[in-house]
Amino acid sequence: MFADLPWNVIALQLFFGVALGCVYVLLASGLSIIYGLLDVVNFAHGTFAMLGAYAVFVAVSMSGSFFIGILSAVVIVGLIGAVTEIFLLKPLYGKDPLLPLLLTFGLSVAIPDGMKIIFGLIGKPVNYPSALSGATLLGPMIFPNYRLFIVLFTLVIMISLWLFLKKSDLGMIIRASTRDSLMVQVLGVNVSRIWTIGFAMGIGLAALAGAISVPMMSATPDMGVDMTMVAFVVTVVGGLGSLGGAIVGGLFIGLVVAVASFIAGEYANVAMYFCMAVILLVRPRGLFGELGRE
Amino acid sequence: MEQPSEPMIPRNTEPIPRPTVVVIALVILAFLPWVTSTPLATEILIWTIFGLGFNLLLGYTGVLSFGHAAYFGLGAYSAGLAFRYWHASIWTGIALGILAPMLLACFIGAIAIRKRGVYFAMISLAFGQMLYFLALSPLKDITRGEDGLTHIPVMEVFSISLNKPAPMYYFILIVTAVMLFLTWRILQSPFGKLLQAFRENEERAKACGFNTTLVKFFSLVLSAFYAGLAGALYTIFLGYVPLSTLFWLTSGTIVMMTILGGRGTLLGPLVGAGVFLFLQNTISVLTPRWELFVGAIFVVIILLFPAGIVGTIQEKFSAYRIARQKT
Repeated sequence: MFADLPWNVIALQLFFGVALGCVYVLLASGLSIIYGLLDVVNFAHGTFAMLGAYAVFVAVSMSGSFFIGILSAVVIVGLIGAVTEIFLLKPLYGKDPLLPLLLTFGLSVAIPDGMKIIFGLIGKPVNYPSALSGATLLGPMIFPNYRLFIVLFTLVIMISLWLFLKKSDLGMIIRASTRDSLMVQVLGVNVSRIWTIGFAMGIGLAALAGAISVPMMSATPDMGVDMTMVAFVVTVVGGLGSLGGAIVGGLFIGLVVAVASFIAGEYANVAMYFCMAVILLVRPRGLFGELGRE
Repeated sequence: MEQPSEPMIPRNTEPIPRPTVVVIALVILAFLPWVTSTPLATEILIWTIFGLGFNLLLGYTGVLSFGHAAYFGLGAYSAGLAFRYWHASIWTGIALGILAPMLLACFIGAIAIRKRGVYFAMISLAFGQMLYFLALSPLKDITRGEDGLTHIPVMEVFSISLNKPAPMYYFILIVTAVMLFLTWRILQSPFGKLLQAFRENEERAKACGFNTTLVKFFSLVLSAFYAGLAGALYTIFLGYVPLSTLFWLTSGTIVMMTILGGRGTLLGPLVGAGVFLFLQNTISVLTPRWELFVGAIFVVIILLFPAGIVGTIQEKFSAYRIARQKT
C-alpha cells in the first residue's frame, strides 16, 4: 500500500499525527490530573476546551495577538473552572461518586447551546499567527510551521508541568493529595483549596488544547463532545490518573487517527475506538495504569 | 421537631413496590393520549421501556453505562434492516432487535464490566461512539448514513395495521405493561435482591461468596434486552431509523430521564421519560435551544434532588411515616 508513496509523504503524515497527538496529550493530561486529584471524571472536559477555543477567538479579535489570545484563554477558562469546582462540584464530594460525572455531563449539554445563542451556529475561524504561518524545509522534508510550534509548545508545557509537580512545594502537596488527601489535611494543608487549584489547572490544560487547535479548525459549539471522547479514549488507553499514560496514549492515538485518515478516511474515527478495545483486551488497566486504579 | 443531622432513611431504599402501583400507572397510561398528543405519549412509552432496563443497571445494580445508545440504536437498526431488506414480520424484527444488542452487551461486558464505575462509563461511551461512526460512514451503503434508514413498511400485529397513532399506542402500551410487570417481578426475585445488595455494598456481597462480576454482567445484558426492544419499537413507531438513535446524546437522554425520575425506583423511568419529553416539547416550541434549559435543569436536579422526582417523594413519605411512628 505504501510502496508507491514517497517516504517523505509518509513521514509528513506521521508528523501530522504527532502534532495532533500533542493536542490530545494536553487534553488528556488535564483530565488525568482532575481524576487523580479529585476522583472526578470530567465529562465537560471537551466543553471547557471549546470555551478555550472561543476565548482565543474573542481575545485575538480584540487584541490582534495570538499569544495574548492563548494566555487569556488559559486564564479565563481556568477561572471558570475554579468557579465551577467551588459552586457546583464541591457540594457533591463525599456523596455518590457518579454525581460529579452526571453534573459535568449536564454542563456539557447546556454550555454548547449557550454558546450557540451567543456566537451563533457557524464556526469562528482564527488565522494562523503570521510568525507561524508557512513551512520550514528540513532537508528533503517540509514541515508546516504551526504544527512544529504545537509540538515544541506541548513539550515546553509538559516539561514545566513535570517540573512544577516534582520540584515545587505546591506540586508536591498536589501529588501528596492525589495519594492520600486525608493525611495531607491532617498535616495542616487546606486540601479543599488544593482541589480547586488542581481542577483549575486541568481545565487550563483543556483550554490550552482547545486554544492551540483553533487555527487548524474553527471554534464550533459542538467541538467539545469530540474532544471529550478523545480525552476519554486517551485516558483509558494510557491508564486512568497517569500523566505518563496521558502523554504516551495521546501521541499513540494521534498517530492512529492520522494514519487511519490517510489510508481509509472513513475509518479515522472508528480506528481510535477500535484501538482502545484492542488495548483493553490485551491490557485491561491501560498502558500505564496502576493496578487497583482501574 | 428538630431536623436530624443525617438522613434517617438510607439512600435509595425503596419500599417494596406493590403490584397495585403498577396497575394504577398502567390505567393512567391508557388515558394518556387524551391528555397529550398520541405520538408524544407513544414516545414516552418507548423511552420508559428503555429507561426500565437502564434503571435496572444504574439504579439497582449501580453500574453507569454512558453508551446505552449503542444498544438502543443497534436494536433500532437490526429491526429496521430486517424490515426493509428482508420484509421480516414484526415479531422477527423485534426478536432481531433484541438479540443483536444482547450479543453486543455480552462483548462489551466481557471486556469492561470488571472496571470501576467511572471507567466503565468512559469505555461504554467510547463503544457507543464507535457504533455511531460505523453507521455514519463505513456502513452507509446499508445504513444510509446521515439520512437514516427509510422505506420501512407499515407493520401489522395479528392483521391489525399499525398505520394510525391509536393502534400503535395501544400495541406499545401492551408491551410496556408486560415490561413493567417483568421489571417488578425481577426486583422481587432473588436476582433482583442481589442487584440491590451489590449496589449498596459490593465488597460485602463479594465476601458473602457472590460472583459480583457475573451478576453485573447479567444485569448489563438484561438492560440491553430492554434497550433493544425499545429500539425496535422506535423503528416501528417512526417508520424509519434516524442516525440519532446511536448518537451520544441518546445515551445522555436516557441517563437524564432516569436521574430525573429517580434511579432505583420502579416508576422512576416512567415519570422521568414523561417529564423530560414534556419539558423538551414545551421548551422546543419556545426556543430551538432547549438543550441549554434541559441541561441546566439537570444540573440543578443533581445538586438539589439527586434522588429524582419519585425518589424524593418516597424519601419525604417515609420520613413522614417514621416521624409519625415516633410520636
